[in-house]
Amino acid sequence: MDVKISKIPESENELVDIRCHEETDCVREIADFVRSRQGQLSGILEGRQYAIAVSEILYIESVDNRTFIYTGSKVYESKQRIYELEDILKPKHFLRISKASLVNLMKISSVKPALGGRFSAVLSNGEEMIISRKYVADLKKTLKGEEI
Amino acid sequence: MSFKEHLKSVISQFFVISSLINLAIFILGEIFRPDDKFGYEAFLAPLIYAAISLVPMLCMYSKKELTIKQHIFRELLQLISIEIILIFLGLGAKSLEPENFALTASFALSVFIIYVLVYVIAWLLDLNTARQINTDLKSFQSKISEESVSE
Repeated sequence: MDVKISKIPESENELVDIRCHEETDCVREIADFVRSRQGQLSGILEGRQYAIAVSEILYIESVDNRTFIYTGSKVYESKQRIYELEDILKPKHFLRISKASLVNLMKISSVKPALGGRFSAVLSNGEEMIISRKYVADLKKTLKGEEI
Repeated sequence: MSFKEHLKSVISQFFVISSLINLAIFILGEIFRPDDKFGYEAFLAPLIYAAISLVPMLCMYSKKELTIKQHIFRELLQLISIEIILIFLGLGAKSLEPENFALTASFALSVFIIYVLVYVIAWLLDLNTARQINTDLKSFQSKISEESVSE
């Protein structure tokens, strides 16, 4: 696939136009990447693809090698792996809190101790997520604005 | 939890357990054998008992994140193993007498109380950490919200 970048005047809206023979996984990946850079992720719900605003996402979880995006009311499936989403969403204040989950720090209401030296994050919708002890140090550093 | 983190937590529990065993020996000694006299080697007893009671904890390390049910099951298994090991050790060292049921039962109860107290102390320390995280979380969220409004 050739890549063509053209400069346009400030008055026009920027646009990424993908011209392809078929909408393959590769094309969808490129579109997902562009959307993620603009604060959106692609998610599949009941066979249809939706653009999800990152600010609406509570958390992302990987279950049996499948990635799920949880908003307040819906659960979307993502084609991307959790580590790919972790890289994309780090600047959007998402943090890995266990091997299989990423949480939107802006959606945590509070943190409380849980069984076995772990912590539990209470989300804005009342759901609770376990923060593994391994990731507590990263959480503390991120909240203090330190590099992890 | 990595093994290194598990080891750190076990080491900190060692000191808490030693102090609590000291207290238990004092209470049980005052009740059952107030006239007993000991040499300096008696100071080693809490350290030895604490180290032995940590062996099941070290053996039951798991790399996997345990579910709450698995965790409770593991804790129960640990408590039972510690009770059995320490009672046999006490009988072997003649600190406990098979015919003195009250002393053996009090000893088993002390082990249980110490086991629970170790977790209560760890939970209180975690509660303090959670409070600090919540304070930092609120400042972080306000800062990000202010930044996004000014953008």
